[in-house]
Amino acid sequence: MDLYFKDKEITGMLVILPSNEIYFEEEMENYNFSTAKSLKLKAALGLNKRRVVQEGVCASDLAIKGLDYLFSNGKLVKEEIDALLFVTQSPDYIMPPTSNVIQGHFNLKQDMICLDINQGCAGFIVGVNQAFMLLDQSSISKVVLINADVLSPKVSKRDRNSNPLIGDAASITIIEKTSNRTEIFGSIKMDGKGAFSLQIPAGGAKLPISANTSEMLEDVSGNFRSKENLVMKGDDVFNFVQAEVPPMIESLLNMAKIDKDVVDYYMFHQPNKFMLNKVADKIGVNRGKMPSNIVENFGNSSGVTIPIVTWFNVADEIKEKRLKICFSGFGVGLTWASLLMDVGPLSFCEMIEY
Amino acid sequence: MEDFLEKMAELFEEDTVQLTDIIVDFDAWDSLTSLSIIAYVGEEFQKTISAAQIVEAETIGGLYELIKNS
Repeated sequence: MDLYFKDKEITGMLVILPSNEIYFEEEMENYNFSTAKSLKLKAALGLNKRRVVQEGVCASDLAIKGLDYLFSNGKLVKEEIDALLFVTQSPDYIMPPTSNVIQGHFNLKQDMICLDINQGCAGFIVGVNQAFMLLDQSSISKVVLINADVLSPKVSKRDRNSNPLIGDAASITIIEKTSNRTEIFGSIKMDGKGAFSLQIPAGGAKLPISANTSEMLEDVSGNFRSKENLVMKGDDVFNFVQAEVPPMIESLLNMAKIDKDVVDYYMFHQPNKFMLNKVADKIGVNRGKMPSNIVENFGNSSGVTIPIVTWFNVADEIKEKRLKICFSGFGVGLTWASLLMDVGPLSFCEMIEY
Repeated sequence: MEDFLEKMAELFEEDTVQLTDIIVDFDAWDSLTSLSIIAYVGEEFQKTISAAQIVEAETIGGLYELIKNS
């Protein structure tokens, strides 16, 4: 469905990355494949190193570190936060919401909304959309959107499909009403028939954790994982992205009545370089306008990859000037969502390590 | 057909391939080869096939039929 917002903008972006770095080669022996085959995979998908948390660190830890940094450096004022959105697939608890836990930790005002959103690869777009909708309320002027995913503990070390590309990270995006006249075009679609293309089968109410769910089983491709591990149907996801994302971008550009070359950057979710290059080619945009260098440097951190790709590639530029950016996220749900908007000059766009 | 066989030889890292060759018996067969075939079929033939369909097609010839009939 088409979405349209006005007189709102993103004013700051902070990325929080674990300092712990793992290289592809360090884990190759875990996989049931020859070295030659694994190196071929590395080259084809654009894998190298990734950031993952030390054992015991969860999504809220990364978020709290980031908020602490913003508060203590005067980049964000506690009393001004009217809504706290926490988008994750790795909440601290089944109950309560992690957003409330964070609100309590910082003793934020009661007169605000805390909301957890269960979204993954499209989680940045879904979160920004939600922030824009909240900002239509007269009592809401500033929304803090946190995207945080710590999925590495959920991925089997012996799963060559997912383990070499998963990363952990968090980001904090400030979204506000603005006196600047802004127009934001959006599009979002869902297909629950593909809900199990990306899944963690056990751990919820449908299949609680038990002795059976931890049993490691080999799949047809030689990967080992249990029901408690993340599992991805790579071919389904690839086909879905190639079929659905390019037409969505085309219709978004049509709605905004702008040519694809007028867009400064296409900041897309980062599944892997292979898939992103195919998407860029299919849309017909220069690969240079669609950076695909996040998985090889930090890993795929689900809903956090869009803030990371933005910070990593244009932090200096976006603090200086206004850029026309097309954001797009796609994956678990299935969900695919895009936004076309002007962003910048941001008051901050930076990264800190946990 | 010739282009198709050439592409298959490239993806399976063989000098040549025959229509009767069994897909899963190639040394280079794995999930990455499967994905590369899916991407090639999408680009070259504008058709969508799944990893399971490739395995079910059994041979290079079977894969060619699958693409033609999809």
